Amino acid sequence: MDRNQITKWLKAPAKMANKYSLHAIYFCTGCGIIEVPPVITSRWDAERFGVIPVATPRQANLFLITGYVSVKTLRAIIRTYEQMYEPKYTVGFGSCPINGGMYWDSYNTIKHLDKYIPIDGWIAGCMPRPEAIFIAVTHLWTLIDKGMANGYVRYKKNYEFYRRNQEMALGKLDWPSLYPIQSDDEAVENE
Amino acid sequence: MRELELYFGPQHLGMVGNFSITLNVEGDRILEAKANPGYLHRGFEKLMEYRTWIQNFPMVCRINVVEPDSMEMIYAMAVEKLASIEVPERAHYVRSIYLELARVASHLFGLWAYANMLGFDTVAQWAMYHRDLILDLFEELTGGRVYHIYIWPGGVRRDFPPGFEDKIVKILHVIGGCVPDYDATFFNNRLFYERAKEIGKINQEEAKQWGATGQTLRATGMKFDIRKVEPYAAYDKVDWEVPTREDGDAYSRVWVIRDEMIESVHMIFKLLDAMPEGPVYKRIPNPFKWKVPKGEAYVRCESSRGELGLYLVSNGGDKPYRVHFRTPSYPNGLIILERLLENASIADVGNIMISLYVVAPEIDR
Amino acid sequence: MSESIKEQLESTFKAVVITDSEEARIGVNVKKDQVLAVLSFLKDRRFDHLALVSCVDWIEEKEFELVYVLTCYMQANEEHTDQESLHLIVKTRISRQSPQFKTITDIFPNAEPYEREIHELFGVKFVGHKRLTPLFLERDYDIPPFRKDFDTRKYVKDLFDNIPSIEIEKK
Repeated sequence: MDRNQITKWLKAPAKMANKYSLHAIYFCTGCGIIEVPPVITSRWDAERFGVIPVATPRQANLFLITGYVSVKTLRAIIRTYEQMYEPKYTVGFGSCPINGGMYWDSYNTIKHLDKYIPIDGWIAGCMPRPEAIFIAVTHLWTLIDKGMANGYVRYKKNYEFYRRNQEMALGKLDWPSLYPIQSDDEAVENE
Repeated sequence: MRELELYFGPQHLGMVGNFSITLNVEGDRILEAKANPGYLHRGFEKLMEYRTWIQNFPMVCRINVVEPDSMEMIYAMAVEKLASIEVPERAHYVRSIYLELARVASHLFGLWAYANMLGFDTVAQWAMYHRDLILDLFEELTGGRVYHIYIWPGGVRRDFPPGFEDKIVKILHVIGGCVPDYDATFFNNRLFYERAKEIGKINQEEAKQWGATGQTLRATGMKFDIRKVEPYAAYDKVDWEVPTREDGDAYSRVWVIRDEMIESVHMIFKLLDAMPEGPVYKRIPNPFKWKVPKGEAYVRCESSRGELGLYLVSNGGDKPYRVHFRTPSYPNGLIILERLLENASIADVGNIMISLYVVAPEIDR
Repeated sequence: MSESIKEQLESTFKAVVITDSEEARIGVNVKKDQVLAVLSFLKDRRFDHLALVSCVDWIEEKEFELVYVLTCYMQANEEHTDQESLHLIVKTRISRQSPQFKTITDIFPNAEPYEREIHELFGVKFVGHKRLTPLFLERDYDIPPFRKDFDTRKYVKDLFDNIPSIEIEKK
C-alpha cells in the first residue's frame, strides 16, 4: 500500500483525537468567567466532552474568550493566541465580543473581536447558560470534521491584515510579527 | 541572589479574574508588588451618564459578576433616597432574603476559588455545586442565573411564586446539612491550618489606616457591619450576630466567611417566618420619562466583600450626572494587597489575594 | 450627635458651610485651602475611615468639585454607637483650567489609588503624591475621558468603526 493510503487512514483517528480532547486555556478574560467554573466542575461536567482547563498556552488548543475585551486585555489575548500551537480554535463567548454588546459606546473596549484574531464560532447571550457552551463544543466538532474550523489557517494567510488592524487599535505593538510580512521585508531592505 | 521581575499576569492558573500583579522577587521572597488593574475597565461611570435612570438598571449589575445583587440594591437605594420613594414593608423582607441568598452564593464562589488555590479540589467541587443550587432558585424567581435585575426603585419586580418559600427552605437544608462535611474536610483540616495561619496578617490599626472593610476588618476583631451600623432593608427586624475572629490572618478571614454563611442561612429562616403580606412594588409613573430631583446622595450597604457605597449626583434631568461606586475590592486589591505581599513567598500570592476576596471587575469598573 | 459635630466645625473654622439634609448625613463645603485642616480635625474626632475620594465635573460653572466621604470605624471591639451611622461629605471646588490640588495621603494613606484614578480620568494634578502613574488606562487621550467634553461615542466611531474587517479586504 502506498503512503497516501496510510496518511489517509491515520488522519481520521488523528482528527477524532483532536476534537474529543480540546484543552481550554485558563484565562479569565471578562465577566463571562462566572459561568466557566460551573461548567468545569461536577454539576455540568465538561470533562465528559473532553474539555479541561490547562495552565499555559503551549498546552492548549481551545481559547474561550469569555466576555468583553478591553484594550489592555486584547494585548494579552493576542500574545496568548500566538503562543498556542496549531491546530487551535477560538470561540467568542457572550454578546460582547460579537459586536460590542452592552458596552458599544465605551472608549476602552473592542467592538468586533474577529477583526483582530480569527474566531471560529460565537455563543450569544448575556450570560449564556452552561449548556450553550456544550452546544458550541459539539458544533465545533462538526466544523472540525468538515475542515471548516480553520481560524488558524486564515490567520496565517491574512496575517498582515490582522496585524495592521491590531496596530490601528492598539498603537505600537511591542512584539515582533509572528509570520513574515511583505512590508517588513521591504523595510529591512531599505535600511 | 539576583532580583527578577515576574508577571503574575492576567493569564495565570492562580488568578481568578483578569488582574495582574508585577512582582520583584529574589529567590522565593517577594520584595515589592505592584498591582496592575485596568484589564476590565469599561468606563462604567461615563457610560451611565448616557443612559436614562431606568436604562441603567441592567448596566449596574454587571459591575461585579460574582454578586450582582448588591449593586442593584445600592443603586436602587440611592435613587430612592434622591427621589424620596417609599418601599412597601414586604419588599424590604423580600430584598433581605434575596440579598442573603446572594451572599451565600458569593461566599461559596470565594470558597471554590480559595480551596482550588490550596489544592482542596473536592471541597471546591462541593462549593460550586451548592452555589448552583442557589442559582437555580434565582432562575426560578427572576429568569436568569447570573444577572437578575430584580430590585427596582420602589420595591422588587415580582413577588415570590407559589411554593417558593418551601423550595428555599429545602435547598438551605441541603446546604446546611453539608456543613459538617465541609468542616471535616476543609475548615478543620490540619493542612489548611498550616497553609493559612500567620499568612497575610493585618492588625486592627493597619486595617483602619488602609481602609479595610468587610471580612478583612472583622477578622481583626472589630464587629463592623453596615447591616448593624446603618440598617437598611429588614436587617434591624431580626435578631442576628456579627461573626468576628481575633487574629487577622488568612485563616481567620476564611473562618469569618464560613461563619457568615451560616449566619446568613439562619437569618433567611428567621426572615421567612417574620415576613408580612402585602404588595412588593410601588409603581413609578412613566418610567421612561422619569426625572429624579436635584441633589446628591451617598448610600452604603454590606456586600459579601465589604462596604459597598455609591455617590450619586443628579441635576434634575433624566440621566444621572455623576455616578461613583465605592467598591470594597478597591482598597483590598490596590493598597492592602501590595503591602501584605512584601516579604511573602510566591506560593502565597493567590492565598492572600483570595482571602482578601479581591474581585477584579469591581476595581476597574 | 450630628449637632455637636456641626457646632464644633462651625466654631473652629470660619467660612465653612454646613448643609445637612437628614440626620445621618452632613455635607460640609469648604474652601480649598482649608481642606487639609478640616480633614485632620475630623480624623481626630473619630471620623477615621476615608470611604471615597471623588470628583464631579461642573462644566457650566467651569469648576471641578472634589468630594471626600468620611465615616467612623468602631471603637475597637465594642458595640456600635450612633456615631457610626453618620457620614460626612466634605466638598471643595477647584478651577477647571489646569486643575491641581494638594494630596491628602499624609492624613489618610488609603487615598493614594483614588487620587491616581482622579488624576488619570479627570486630569487633576495632586501635588505631593508619591506615585501618580496611570492606573486603568494604557494610552493617552486628548481630553481626560471622564470630563464632560469628552464624547465617548464620537471617539468610538472615529477609532473602532474605521478598522476594516478582514473579509472585506480579501475581495
